[in-house]
Amino acid sequence: MRLETPPDVMTPKERLRATLQGRPVDRIASAPLILNHCSRVTGVTVRQFNHDADLMGKAQVRAWERYGHDMPLIFTTTATVAEAMGTRLFFPDDDAPRVETPFVGDAADVDRVLVADPWRDGRLPVYLAAASHVVETLGDRVFVGCIFAAPFTTASHLRGTETFIRETYRNPGLVNELLAKAKASAFNMIDALAQLAVVPVIVEPVASASLISPRQFEQYVLPHLVDIVDRAHAKGLPICLHICGKTRPVVKLMAESRADILSLDQIDMGEARELVGEKTCLLGNVKPAETLLKGTPEAVRDEVREIIAKAAGSPRGLIVSSGCEMPLNTPPANIDALIEAARIYGRR
Amino acid sequence: MKNKEDILLELARAVVDMEEDTCRRSARESLGAGIEAAEAINGGLVKGMMVVGDKYEREEYFIPEVLLCSDAMLAGLAVLQPHLPVDRGGTAAKVVLGVVRGDTHDIGKSLVKIMLEAAGFEVYDLGRDVPPADFVTKALEVGASVIGLSTLMSTTMDGMRTVIEDLEARGIRDRFLVMVGGGPVSPAFAREIGADLYAPDANSAVRNLTALLEVWSCA
Repeated sequence: MRLETPPDVMTPKERLRATLQGRPVDRIASAPLILNHCSRVTGVTVRQFNHDADLMGKAQVRAWERYGHDMPLIFTTTATVAEAMGTRLFFPDDDAPRVETPFVGDAADVDRVLVADPWRDGRLPVYLAAASHVVETLGDRVFVGCIFAAPFTTASHLRGTETFIRETYRNPGLVNELLAKAKASAFNMIDALAQLAVVPVIVEPVASASLISPRQFEQYVLPHLVDIVDRAHAKGLPICLHICGKTRPVVKLMAESRADILSLDQIDMGEARELVGEKTCLLGNVKPAETLLKGTPEAVRDEVREIIAKAAGSPRGLIVSSGCEMPLNTPPANIDALIEAARIYGRR
Repeated sequence: MKNKEDILLELARAVVDMEEDTCRRSARESLGAGIEAAEAINGGLVKGMMVVGDKYEREEYFIPEVLLCSDAMLAGLAVLQPHLPVDRGGTAAKVVLGVVRGDTHDIGKSLVKIMLEAAGFEVYDLGRDVPPADFVTKALEVGASVIGLSTLMSTTMDGMRTVIEDLEARGIRDRFLVMVGGGPVSPAFAREIGADLYAPDANSAVRNLTALLEVWSCA
């Protein structure tokens, strides 16, 4: 069946700005997390994409030209800030990188942890140069975002996740020391992105309710998120907070960070709207594996329609997206379906 | 002196309250009071761990709490184990467990292992980033009846299918129950690849597996 798709009237940039300012939009924005999948559009390997600013920037631009999503987002893995602080990653030839050796193998190594300089350390310069290229090429029409880890996740990648979350009980001093350094690195990242006029998206997957309790979230996560959001706002930037996995038990605490957008994964969007819709714009949450990777375009459209039905009236707005990173080998037709569905069902 | 009931209750409580030292001390106390090591384990430590599993399922406990409770249980177990009779019969169902190749996230798998062992299963943990063939090889080698596969990544979930195809190709699919779980895995995916059991979390993994094994062994 061929569905009649009305044309867009606003540019993605106008649409996102209007969404955040609570003004009318031509249709609901759609900003699926098309990240490492960009490598599929230009036919480079994920490893090449992740190391070369030129390839990454071009792949991001080509992916936007191909899909027309409302916000290109620079990202390779949540461990990139930890990598810039000394953690070693493993890069499979054609899959996302992962942590190989946490930098703080021994608790005494914490003194050797240095705050990251995004213009110099790890692959953060690759992110910045790629982001800069996308802004130069598409910046008149789109806002460009850059995704990096918030302190709890960076600290866990510096120490090793299982050790780190045990130490939230056993060695809070060490945990707090790592969090402070991870936050200082995040501040530097915000400052660098502000220079490029790139929107920060902070991710805190290790603080999801799939792992830690709301009580620990309040103690170890929220105070740092508040500081980072303040930093972005002081620089005149909006900021998005993404947490994948389960978020219902912590979604109200997430909103207390005062992030402008909450990107949510496993939660009912109607419930999210009830809980935090007054405080923040909601972004999400088509199921990445079940629907986008394994499902059909019809299933994707149905899920978008359901999300819009549940959350479109949210007081601070809704942006349709994938719940987490678009799986690498998602069929392009399913990504098209997500974006098209926002055009079809996202009109007032 | 404390009576037997008090000591067992204290063992269970120390597990639930994440108190390693208390677990060790109460374990020694139980031996001093003439409690059989097996009874102290099952009536104390394991009972505590079952409470922990319930709290986890009710979202009262999360992963750090379960890990610390498990540490406390293991501290008590280390005291009691040398006092167990050498021959325990070997009737426990054996489970081969691991994270499929390409994925190194293993906290979920470790949690399943903790809860399975507390429930009396004999667990062979292959760790993370495990090649598909290793699951089958190990399961045959130890005479396991269950293969448990975990992944957090959508790029590696098809490795689960490979394990099941491997079992089919060797004509031994019906000798094993295959259990799958992890972030991107859904009941629909479990059905699609022909797994026997989808486990949404560690505690239901144990509960559902126990129920299924009962049916399976009757069939």
